[in-house]
Amino acid sequence: MKVLELKNVNKIYNSDEVKVHAVNDVTLDFAEAEFAAIVGPSGSGKTTLLNLIGGLDMPTSGEIIITGTNLSKLKSSQLIDFRLNNIGFVFQSYNLIPVLTAKENVEFIMTLQKWPQKERDERTFELLNAVGLGDRIDSRPSKLSGGQQQRVAVARALASRPKFVLADEPTANLDSKAATTLLEIMEKLNHEEKITFIFSTHDPRVVKMAHRVITLEDGKVVSDVKLE
Amino acid sequence: MIWSIAWKNVWRNKKRSLVVITAVTLGIISGVLLVGIMEGWVRQRLHAAISNEVSHIQIHHKEFIKNEEIDLTLRNLGEITRDMDSLKEVSAWVKRTKIVAMANTPWANAGVIIYGVDAEKERLVTEIYKGIVPNGGRYLDEQSHGDILISDKTAEILKLKQYIVTDSAIEKLKGEKVPPAVLARLDKLKDKRFRSPGDFREALQQEFSRKELNKYGLLITDKALDYRIRNKVQITISDQEGTPIQGIFRVCGIYKTTNTGFDQASVFVNAGELASLYGGSEILTHEIAILLHNMDDVGPVREKLSRISGDNSVRTWKELAPDAAMMNDFMIMYYFIFIGIIMLALAFGIINTMLMAILERTKELGMLMAIGMNRSRIFKMIMLETVFLTGVGAVAGMLLGWTFAEVLGKTGIHFTGWGEGFEAIGFAAKVYPEVTPGFFMFITIMVIVTAIISSVWPARKALKLIPVEALRTE
Repeated sequence: MKVLELKNVNKIYNSDEVKVHAVNDVTLDFAEAEFAAIVGPSGSGKTTLLNLIGGLDMPTSGEIIITGTNLSKLKSSQLIDFRLNNIGFVFQSYNLIPVLTAKENVEFIMTLQKWPQKERDERTFELLNAVGLGDRIDSRPSKLSGGQQQRVAVARALASRPKFVLADEPTANLDSKAATTLLEIMEKLNHEEKITFIFSTHDPRVVKMAHRVITLEDGKVVSDVKLE
Repeated sequence: MIWSIAWKNVWRNKKRSLVVITAVTLGIISGVLLVGIMEGWVRQRLHAAISNEVSHIQIHHKEFIKNEEIDLTLRNLGEITRDMDSLKEVSAWVKRTKIVAMANTPWANAGVIIYGVDAEKERLVTEIYKGIVPNGGRYLDEQSHGDILISDKTAEILKLKQYIVTDSAIEKLKGEKVPPAVLARLDKLKDKRFRSPGDFREALQQEFSRKELNKYGLLITDKALDYRIRNKVQITISDQEGTPIQGIFRVCGIYKTTNTGFDQASVFVNAGELASLYGGSEILTHEIAILLHNMDDVGPVREKLSRISGDNSVRTWKELAPDAAMMNDFMIMYYFIFIGIIMLALAFGIINTMLMAILERTKELGMLMAIGMNRSRIFKMIMLETVFLTGVGAVAGMLLGWTFAEVLGKTGIHFTGWGEGFEAIGFAAKVYPEVTPGFFMFITIMVIVTAIISSVWPARKALKLIPVEALRTE
């Protein structure tokens, strides 16, 4: 089942009479439970494409359809709610809420979605245990290492069972061991939760573990390889 | 969760938040004290006006208000006094004779209004008997004859207030631990009589330095003060034919209220003795003063009295003491002015702090928007943060302000140096700040309103952020 379709998506930035074609006629689709990496050199349009898929930016032309909903047809307020209910985000620099504990960070989105407390607690413990942080639930981000913070971020992204998770260079700030642990956890959750993961990266470790690798160059998809 | 985040966000930059909280605390303390002093003054003025000067309601001949002539006595007096006792709202009432007079002593004279009163009944309506100054004799007594009660101010004008450094005064000063060197120099003024505070002050200035006077001047003046109790005062009035007549009274006591204007004008004698002076067959009644159990009944009682008092003029304290009424009515406006100015000044500090907080958290706000926190929640979070930041300071300010006001409400604040000026316009020189629960309600609402208004600009700034751009900031 397709969870995400991109049809002839273009993103052109106009600045000082210079046109930058950041995403160039990209057509892709992603099925449920995919574990896909978008790779390419710096400036190839990976992050822009991820922002478009996540509804953080609007394409200049083309369509992005998530489980039947065309993002460009949504108003800005509807788009925020759509992101809340359908997309999980993992950022390069973790971006946890510093004043909240690991547990509170994970349950934050569920709170916005008004989940009952009992279900929130169960899901939070389940995910924090899954990412190996069951014993750090009351720690604030400042008391956690980079790898641990990113694991909390992954747990947060998965908390409300989104259609897919977008991860922008999730291992960029992590050392080798932390990166490997994170990737293993992500792969395990992808398998267990049947949630699609799409991440931009130029980390070969990530690429090695991906089940599908999409290569971008100058905003164009130059290859799309499924690895089994 | 948003409440919790907002609360925790307040403490992210403790130093910066504490600066704002301290500013709000100090602002609220000053607001509470300023309004407390103002409220204290107004209430004291109101109390003084009702308890000493005008009571709740007064009845006069309608022409007497314009022209205080001896023959303009109350009409239908019998019916009025008979009906008065049937009014449940009335606590006490008195009849008074009120005549314009001239008071003379061998050294000075003063224009006064002489009140002929029933001393016992008067105690039920006015509190002037409570205002007898230390060493100032006693209140009027029906058993004594030829007594006159005058004020401290009238005593000063008639030169019945004098300053003498006696052995007894020096002994009292020793008891107050005044240094022997000061007492030795005071010895030079011993047994000299000064008939005005100004003369005595000048004499002290010649003997003592400014520093010594600041420290001991008031104490020395207080102990040297002596009233010429039992001194004769000649009162001149015009009888009903307009013929001037004189009578001699002896000062039985000296009173003092917080209104020098009232004090200067008012002397009191027993009504029967005043009647002997103007030679009437009966005691003339120019004024009935009425005290009610409850001030709120003034309107209805006035209506009833107007019906039974015929042609006479029935006026409430609001008409008789318009200054006190005006201040009482305008109290809410003072609240707005004082607290409004303080809050306006604080709002700029709060806005500045919140703008800084938003600027610092651009990336975090971008993340919150990206993961699905909508505009109304962002706005709510920033608004709550502002309300908490302001609220903490406000609660601390209200608690401290209330504590100070309670303490000062018991000890009072004596405006030494400005006292005479205040009393000249009817305000007490010693004010007892008073803060009402209503004021705290008011201040709480003002704080919340200020915080919400102050949060609008920073919140709008946050709402204008574009998540994808905000996420790129470092």
